[in-house]
Formats: sequence, structure tokens, C-alpha cells
Amino acid sequence: MAKGGGLFNLSKFDVVVVGAGPSGSTAAYLLAKAGFKVLLLERGRGAGSKLLWGGKAYAEPLRKVWPELDKEAPIHRWVTKERISIVWGERALTLEYKLGRKVAFTSPLPELAGWMAKKAESAGALLLDEVPVDEIVVKEGRAVGVRSGNDFVSADVVIDAEGANRILLEKLGLADRPSPYDMALGVKEVLSLDPRLIEERFGLERDEGLSWLILGDITAGIPGGGFVYTMRETIGIGLVLNIGHAAVAAEKGILRDHVSRLVEGLRTHPYFRNYWREADVIEYGGRMTIEGGLRFVPKRLYSNGLLVVGDAAGMLVNTGYTIRGVDTAVTSARLAAEAIIEARDRGGFTEENLRAYEEKVRESYIYRDLVEHSGIAEIFDDPFFFSKVPSLATRAASKLFEADYGEPSLLEAIKRSAEEEEISLLRLMLKVGRVVRRI
Amino acid sequence: MSQAPSRLKVMKLEELLRRDVWDVDEERHIEVLKQEGLPLKALQLLCPMGCYSMAGERLLMSYEGCVECGTCRVLSKPEQIRWEFPRSGRGIQYRYT
Repeated sequence: MAKGGGLFNLSKFDVVVVGAGPSGSTAAYLLAKAGFKVLLLERGRGAGSKLLWGGKAYAEPLRKVWPELDKEAPIHRWVTKERISIVWGERALTLEYKLGRKVAFTSPLPELAGWMAKKAESAGALLLDEVPVDEIVVKEGRAVGVRSGNDFVSADVVIDAEGANRILLEKLGLADRPSPYDMALGVKEVLSLDPRLIEERFGLERDEGLSWLILGDITAGIPGGGFVYTMRETIGIGLVLNIGHAAVAAEKGILRDHVSRLVEGLRTHPYFRNYWREADVIEYGGRMTIEGGLRFVPKRLYSNGLLVVGDAAGMLVNTGYTIRGVDTAVTSARLAAEAIIEARDRGGFTEENLRAYEEKVRESYIYRDLVEHSGIAEIFDDPFFFSKVPSLATRAASKLFEADYGEPSLLEAIKRSAEEEEISLLRLMLKVGRVVRRI
Repeated sequence: MSQAPSRLKVMKLEELLRRDVWDVDEERHIEVLKQEGLPLKALQLLCPMGCYSMAGERLLMSYEGCVECGTCRVLSKPEQIRWEFPRSGRGIQYRYT
């Protein structure tokens, strides 16, 4: 930690990166490797100490930055099974897909982000932790450095990788405080369990993992869902809840319990609890994520001497069945680093030269996915999908599998369930059709 | 029906919080400035760490257990809640999340 003047004040850097999360460390790594003098600032004690996620990252976009990823990164398990469950009361309907290749892996985010920050350091970036940045300093329309307390450090380019709480961008007037409907709260428990039991219970080989998405009344009707990810010797379980809808439910008295009680409901749920019945809870926490898609993306990702990457730039794709935030953060930072390297070769970090970053983002899979899944917000805004659909699906399944005398046809089971739930079949078909088009 | 093992009993928030590690800042980084217009129930039920509670009619915020998630920030306006990060490395120290 550098405090109170001295070196910190005297030094000038080519690039200062705010935040040593996945995007910040990626940018710092690539730019240090390209010969820039890079300062990477992190407000936490060590990189990753403020991070919490579900648990799964897509490997290929990360390999573009670190081809050595598979050998070196703290990969806990390769996801070989994807499960989706719809839960209502004690009833549950589950679909499982066995993957044909290694696409995504699980890892605790403090550990994964810690590795990425180490890579940045080994490439020559200077990582200073315990340094919260108070302000991106702008002079004559150009970002000239950052301020932390009484310390100022100047740089040719500032990269804002501050995350989803955009204190700095809001101060600059480059982003507004988001609507609670565009944000979701993730609440998570980490359960510790013998790896052999994890493998036995979920039917996994030693380095294989499972990723499990859960819909239904575990969220108390609030738009959102649950997740289970197996790590090496822990299991991460939790919920993601739309904050706007959850707040309304709380104020109206529909949500009566504290959110931790909902996560405990998942942990002790009869359908799930036997997977981890001996497990101890070793950590509990929460973190906010983005649900607004394109609505959260700032109008511009660049200005004179400044680039915005990762969550702060809204570079997170929520498809409804999966949230991709780490590979997209890493990719946005890679594109930002490319733009900075090109700008140097073209003679300066002017607005015109840095605009290439935004063009690269627009041409990338992140932007395509953000546009393609922008309709997901409409689904999140409709509690029908989080109450009526799961109750109908489990009711129809109960008619198929809990018939003492003779089973109805599938269509008949759905028809009768819809009648009992007082949902018109036409409305249901229209709604489901919309989901299929949107997600 | 067989009894669920004790580990499968629902834990209270206070028990869950005992699993976590903080280095609490001596300076308060989040503060209620103006209670009027705040969604009181939402703050109490949604703050994952239960930092918000009522003392009679008054909303209390105990910043000590905060994980800096920002939920109360997006549920409020700048004039209602002062919201900053803890100073230099303080606050929650996540390990396995």
C-alpha cells in the first residue's frame, strides 16, 4: 500500500486501471505485456476479496488472453452436466444435459480473480491493493489520472473497471444511478463437502462439475432463480432476485422473510438437501449483478483518455438461463487493451483513437448477445413466469406421474392443470412462445 | 418421517454471519441521511446482511456487517443514503465465494 505522497505521487504511469477484478486485471496484463507502464489499483485487501458470483466461467474467451489457462488457472471442475429444475412446494421437474466437451469451468471468484491479478503482476503491472479510488480526475475535457484521498496519480489513459457500483462514472456524469429493476441481488452460501461425496452424489468424475439452475417458488414469486455450482470441495448455492420486484414484494407484504431465509429454504429443501446433508456452511454473502442488459450500458464506453470495461460498462449478458459476466468482462478488457495499443501506434489516446474500442465491442459477441437477449427484461418484468408457469408445470407433471388409476395424455394433463390454475391455454401458449423467442 | 440432521435445520441470519470475515472500518461508510421516502421493509428484508433494522419508528443502519453489494444504494437516492466504500481494504473479506 502506498500512502501519503512519496512514490505514489511522483510516478506517472502510461495506464492506470481502477479495480483488480477480471476486467481490470485482464487490461493490466495485456497492456503491461505490450510494454506499457501500468498501475492496477484495488480497493480490497488483495484482488478478489470483494467478489462473489454463482460459479461458472466460459473458458474459450479467457484462453484468448491466457492460452495457458487450462494448465495454470484455478479451475475447480469442468462443467459436464447442466441441470434445470422447476420447483413448486415439494414437487420438482428436472431436465439434465450432459455436455460433449469442456466449455465452462467452476472456480471461486476470489481465487480466479486472484490468479488473473497475479498474471498482470508477472507481466510487469504494479498492483496496489487497499487503495480505493475516489475520483477519476478530468482536466480540460481529458482524464488525466485518479485521486485516492490526498494522493494523485497521473496517467495517459485511465481504465474504469470499478464494477457494477459505478461510483466514479456517476460522479463524472457518464452514468446514472441504475433503476432497481435493472439490477439483481445475488445471495449465496458456500457449503463445504468432501470431494468424493460431491462426485458420488452428482454422478461426476474427479474433475467434473455440475451447474444447476432452479426456477420456482424458492424465490417466493420474485422474478429470479436459484443456482447450484459444484467446486472442488465446496458447493455454491444461492438465489438471484430482481431488486425492483423484490422491493415491491417486500413493501406489499408478499415477501415477509429476510432473503437469507430464502437461501436457507433452498439449502434445506427436501428435493435438494440430501446432496449436501453433511455439509457445513463456511461462508455467506451477497453481491449485486446487472439485469438491465443494454439499458445498463453507458452511452459511451470511451472519452478522452478514458475507457470503461467489465461490469461498469454493462458487459454482462443475462440470457435468463445463464449469466455470463466474467468471460464478457475479460473480452471487453481485451478489446480495450487492443484499442489502446493501436492508439499508441497512431500517436495518442485521443477520443478519436480510443473510439476503436467501442467499435470493437459492437462487433463482438458481447454486443450481439446483449441485443439478442434484450427481450429478457420483458420476461423478468412479468411475474407470470415466476409463479404461474412453475406451478402449472409441476401440476401437469403430478397428473402424469401421480395418477393412481390411468394416466392422462400430456396435452390433457396440461389442459386440466391450466383449468385448475385458471390460465387460458391461448394466453399460456402466447407467453411461452414469447419466452422461446426472447431467451 | 425421519428427523432431518441438525445441519439441515434452517439457520438464522446471525448464525450465517458468523461464517464470514470482516475487517471493520472504524469509520461509518454508509449512513441514512433522510428516512422519508425510503422503502423501509425492502431495506430490512433485502439487505443480505441484515444491516437495516427499525428502532421504533427510526431506521437504523449498522454498517459493520455490510458486504458493499449496493442493494440499498439502488433502492435510495443520494440525499437519502450516503453510500461509500470502506476505506483502504476494510470491510468484507470474501474467501470462497
